[in-house]
Amino acid sequence: MTVDELVQHLSAERFVSDFSAASKEEALEKLTEAVVAGSNMSDHATILQMLRNREQLGSTALSQGVAFPHGRSLAVTKLTLLVARSKAGVDFESEDGKSTHLFFVILAPPQDTGNYYLQALGKIAELVRKSEVCNGLMEAEDFDALATVLKEAG
Amino acid sequence: MSEPTNQAQLLVALQDLEDMISEAENPDQRAVLEEMGFPVQGIDELHAAQKNLEEQIQPGVLGKYRRLRKRTGKAVMPVVGGACTGCFTNVPHVFTSSVNKGKVIACETCGRILYWP
Repeated sequence: MTVDELVQHLSAERFVSDFSAASKEEALEKLTEAVVAGSNMSDHATILQMLRNREQLGSTALSQGVAFPHGRSLAVTKLTLLVARSKAGVDFESEDGKSTHLFFVILAPPQDTGNYYLQALGKIAELVRKSEVCNGLMEAEDFDALATVLKEAG
Repeated sequence: MSEPTNQAQLLVALQDLEDMISEAENPDQRAVLEEMGFPVQGIDELHAAQKNLEEQIQPGVLGKYRRLRKRTGKAVMPVVGGACTGCFTNVPHVFTSSVNKGKVIACETCGRILYWP
């Protein structure tokens, strides 16, 4: 997946620039609510359950303060991405114990046979390995600026 | 919104979870995740969650799910555009009316359990 293809799956409606949560559980609940809002998905509970299970498998919070809650569910109708940004940071139980400031939620239906969600996950994980990209994403004024940071990084 | 409650939601959650376990136990899929930096270490916890879900599903419903899983691979299929995505046969509208929301309804053609969120 190219960066341009990735950015096509993002939108201003699914960009939360001032995200906050007091715990990992609250973060998952709020992220699920945000990703479902305005979509044709309605089964919050099943999507949240899937994301909780995925976190049980191993935290999706990597270094650099970035987390990738992701997975497949029948309650998801198409590949759906959401970006959330927290200036204060959230304790998302990362391996390094540091706060998480950027969240990329990636949801896909089980029939995503092309594994596009893994491609999206891999591409974003690759981009945010560079600290300057993370800084750019944190400082972007709006969604267009955020998309530009990603495109320039790719 | 916090947890799946009705039988149809519980079956969907179970199928999602079992697919996640299969992926995590598949060496190739696991390698892909680990290469991206995601540790795969909580498979036991997922099996415990699977048991917990199974205990919330009525035995008859769970038995039907297990038989379908064995026979067709996917026991629960979403209804998209008015059709069962397991066999692509149109599903009578009355099946997916709000009255039946959360109930375990089977496709008349392929027998799979229908899900319409």
